[in-house]
Amino acid sequence: MKLSKSMFFDRRYIIVVVFVVLYLLRYVLPEAFVLEVVIQSIYVMGCSFLIGRLGLVSFGQPVYLAAGAYGTAFYLYYVGTNPYIGILVGVLMGLMVSIVAGVFLVRLSSSYFTLSNLAFCAIGFFLLQKVLVKYTHGDNGLWFLSKIDSTVIIDLSTTKGIVYFSFLIAIGVWFLYDYLMDRSVFGAACLAVKINEEKLRFLGYNAFNVKWLAFVIANTTAALAGSLNAIYLGFVSPSIADVSKAVEAVAISMLGGAGTLFGPVAGVLIFIGLKDIISQIVSHWELVVGIMLVAIMIRGEKGIVGSLEGIVHKSITKNNNKPVSW
Amino acid sequence: MNSSETILKTKNITKKFNGLIAVDGVSFDIKENEIIGLIGPNGAGKTTFFNILTGGFIPDSGKVYYKNKDITELSPEQRVSLGIARTFQLTSTFDNLKVIDNIKLACYRLQYSPSVLGMCLHRLDSAISEKIEKCLITFGLNRLANRYAGELSLGEKRILEIAMALVIDPEVLLLDEPFAGLSEAEIDEVLMTLKEHAKQQTIVIVEHKISKITDLVERVGVMVEGKIIAVGKVEEVLEDPQVRKSYWGGV
Repeated sequence: MKLSKSMFFDRRYIIVVVFVVLYLLRYVLPEAFVLEVVIQSIYVMGCSFLIGRLGLVSFGQPVYLAAGAYGTAFYLYYVGTNPYIGILVGVLMGLMVSIVAGVFLVRLSSSYFTLSNLAFCAIGFFLLQKVLVKYTHGDNGLWFLSKIDSTVIIDLSTTKGIVYFSFLIAIGVWFLYDYLMDRSVFGAACLAVKINEEKLRFLGYNAFNVKWLAFVIANTTAALAGSLNAIYLGFVSPSIADVSKAVEAVAISMLGGAGTLFGPVAGVLIFIGLKDIISQIVSHWELVVGIMLVAIMIRGEKGIVGSLEGIVHKSITKNNNKPVSW
Repeated sequence: MNSSETILKTKNITKKFNGLIAVDGVSFDIKENEIIGLIGPNGAGKTTFFNILTGGFIPDSGKVYYKNKDITELSPEQRVSLGIARTFQLTSTFDNLKVIDNIKLACYRLQYSPSVLGMCLHRLDSAISEKIEKCLITFGLNRLANRYAGELSLGEKRILEIAMALVIDPEVLLLDEPFAGLSEAEIDEVLMTLKEHAKQQTIVIVEHKISKITDLVERVGVMVEGKIIAVGKVEEVLEDPQVRKSYWGGV
């Protein structure tokens, strides 16, 4: 049977276009801003996926970001000098942490999941700041900028190289999520878990494994962002896992549109943009973002991208079907 | 294969909830390819017993056998793999997925073992299309295929749920109050769908009202206060004085 396609072009082209445009923005806007946007977007992607596609709200995202950052930092500070291997170690660290944490946390439902993640984040912060102080140097952090080797092809010891590399990685991550969320059987199973986990079990699927894998994928993505950030700054400190930042990823996800493909990018752009602009005018920029978030939630929980795609969809097709999530 | 062979059977099933005996020593045989009803007043333990058959609960004592194999401790997922499918009293379709994707998700496990890594690698579109198309036509869902399940009426959802259970060709289909909350016209539609599948599948229907299923089922079991008090042909069971007493209050 032929499915009617409401999309007349492949979404992967849109992904490439979005990130190329964002990349070109570095000629207009400060490079640091553009880099922060892309790394934060990668970080928020996993969180947005968990909220929008599985209904799992995690207040523990900073700890997975920290797992990646510290994995990379440990390697570059104590072991080697190759930033690529550093990133790989960071991602593997994030993978391990989320696999282990997932076994315990994914069993919990709704608010218990949310708060246990927050508790896990607090434990991570405490470990990095106090318990492992011998290795992490506590609040002084680890400095390794000078240890990063220059590398061939894309030189990660330069900011330019990191920006370029981060955009390539982002395109890869978005391709992966586009496939997983909207094309694979797994993506459908995730949406099924959100609605009725028991029913999925009675169709013969292991719902726990679906949630667990989604959790691992999402948080390994966060760890990847942590690694990139560590390479860029050449420094990590426990404040990266600070519990006070736990809400940020969730808020940005909601702002942009949880579970949509470009929600994280839109959310981060607005969030960081507002932070930079408004903080120059008023001292309490959080207030403005807060009011915006409430306004967007009242509009229908779809976030900016969700609302926009509804309008776009209506103008493209004239039927009454609900818009497909980007 | 002998059509009167027992496919699913329970032996002395007992299940208690905080001292309340929901199911009390039930032994029940379900024969291959028959349509059997399980009726009883509210709170008789029908749904509990049903959940024990499908793996929702593990009984405190007693055994469940499927094709002479002990499945008492198996999880719902494992029972589906053996060929036991079910529907829910509260209609449970995936409202955030399209009708066709609901069926694809149900159907996927026919092709591949439903491991989570395999689910990542396989496209939803790769599901066997002829089978899905046939299913959509059989159940009259083809015009709704690209609608979201959440937009369907309750009757349409119930039919979608039955379609999702039947698309994997289960040997035993367990229906939990398939007519609850439906209008008369919708009930007829669901009944028609079920009748088309008679003789091809073993179907167990749990129902509150007996009148709905009299011309569909071959045999019926009556459950009262956790016990099966009568099993047999519908007319015979309805004549049973004990059934009359407990079910209609001795009228």
